[in-house]
Amino acid sequence: MHGSAETATHIIFGWDPLWVSSILFVVTYAVIVSEKINRAIVSLLGAGLMVMLGVLNQETAISGIDFNTLGLLIGMMVIVSITKRSGIFQYIAVWSAKKVKAHPWGIMLMLSVVTAVFSALLDNVTTVLLIVPVTLLICHELDLSPYPFLFAEIFCSNIGGTATLIGDPPNIMIGSAVNLTFNDFLFNLAPIVPVILLMTLGILYFVWGRKLQATDEARERIMSFREQDAITDTRLLKQSLTVLALVIGGFVMAKPLQHEPASIAMFGAALLLLLSNLHRSPEQQSENVQQIFAKVEWVTIFFFIGLFVAVKGIEQAGVLEILADRALGLTGGDMTLTALTILWISAIVSAIVDNIPFVATMIPLIKSMAPTFGGAENLMPLWWSLALGACLGGNGSLVGASANLIVAGFAERSGHRIRFLPFMAAAFPLMILSIIVASIYIYLRYL
Amino acid sequence: MKLKQILMPTKVATYGMTVREVFAECGRANIPALPFCTKSGRIAGRVTLKNIMKCSCLPDYIIESARILGEEMSCMEDIESTAKQLLCVPVDPYVQEPALFLSSNAPAIKALAIMEQNDTSYLFVVDDGQYQGAVTIQCLAKMLIRLDQC
Repeated sequence: MHGSAETATHIIFGWDPLWVSSILFVVTYAVIVSEKINRAIVSLLGAGLMVMLGVLNQETAISGIDFNTLGLLIGMMVIVSITKRSGIFQYIAVWSAKKVKAHPWGIMLMLSVVTAVFSALLDNVTTVLLIVPVTLLICHELDLSPYPFLFAEIFCSNIGGTATLIGDPPNIMIGSAVNLTFNDFLFNLAPIVPVILLMTLGILYFVWGRKLQATDEARERIMSFREQDAITDTRLLKQSLTVLALVIGGFVMAKPLQHEPASIAMFGAALLLLLSNLHRSPEQQSENVQQIFAKVEWVTIFFFIGLFVAVKGIEQAGVLEILADRALGLTGGDMTLTALTILWISAIVSAIVDNIPFVATMIPLIKSMAPTFGGAENLMPLWWSLALGACLGGNGSLVGASANLIVAGFAERSGHRIRFLPFMAAAFPLMILSIIVASIYIYLRYL
Repeated sequence: MKLKQILMPTKVATYGMTVREVFAECGRANIPALPFCTKSGRIAGRVTLKNIMKCSCLPDYIIESARILGEEMSCMEDIESTAKQLLCVPVDPYVQEPALFLSSNAPAIKALAIMEQNDTSYLFVVDDGQYQGAVTIQCLAKMLIRLDQC
């Protein structure tokens, strides 16, 4: 018997909660994928209907919301929105370009590595928002097409984000649902990330990098960039870097300290808010805090809230249990086949649609496979497969990840349109290569 | 004090008018925008210096990278060249939604409050659908000085 009987208080017309929740979920998913209506509106409507139609009661709906994921996202968004005001990220981007004497391939390499590192420590969207304008400016001055640079940055942001708990929303969701620490991600995913990064950059070198040329005059213009002017507030810079270091340190020490990542991120955000407002009057503080909170991506946060409730609806109605049984039936309950199937399906689905709703659905589905594999502790290969597939799959197309669309938007507004099919023609095979490497890694390390 | 006592008559932008003409009138009247009117004199929108310059001269990445721009950069030469070509084009594509209006009998302090509320420094004055002129924050400052001298 499914959980619907205990949770559905007044399922309307006596309909079967299994069907009601399935139809609601599929329609919600389809409208999200169509991108005709804002995704936060759709997910909240889907969640609301799960409750209104009696699939869930309010208490159960709220219990489905993962506040650890939300806390971690909000905390990091606040920290990043304050830190970026200091100008440190632009400073590092320009500094790295000058460090290689403005050689085009050197710049492409440096900006790619910087993007990967930033993406591992911040979110991908913020990273590309900071790096892409500098890249476009550099390419303009070097009189080079920005396409290879932007292509590399898209790939590196998704690859870099795979490495850590906080690098990409799927990792945050998986980490929170399965109680995985920052170190768990570092030990299990970070080792393969440099391999995939080097492979990708190596291929990009042979395709584009080795042909990149710039005149001495153009390189001289890059060397005249004033990276020191990017730093707007030295005090804020010191405060931000200190708090960011403390938060990362807190994540690393989370287990011995017995704190959840969300608590650490929220405490870090509160501390940085305090430090960056100490010298302000109460009125200025109110204005400043409002500005910072406005930078939190509330659309994403409410999208998550709605999604968690919608997924709770199909979970409680027993839909996921049935899907898990069917999936295990197809793989014959074989761990190797199940892990690799999850990896590949996650990658391909994430290349085509938003990976967040997919991962939100897969988490309870994988959890329900625990009895087949002898307990939750034996599911680890499946979690790492899901994380690698969902994060790396974002490279498969222009719509695979939010960061990709941000890059495409900037490129288009600067007169360098990135077309969907040509991008996919190059990106999808490269993404598949990264998934082959990930498959070998999963097989050798866990299976 | 009423707005009719401090408003500043200006030309209006119309279909086919060039960016050069709009820039010249805005510069003469020291105002950041002009109303855009149909042939019948009805206000259909507004053209602002900021929007024309941002849309046609400044790509996003230049704005985002403003602080690190060096002194001798080719992107700036390109922007100057684009700006020169821009002067000859019609202003029609840059029309935005109409700005805030007040009647000429509205008190000056109401204009100040509405400017503050909407984070702007100018308003258009319209009576019976006909444009009368503009009120800027500079006009209001001059008015306050006049009041003090009385």
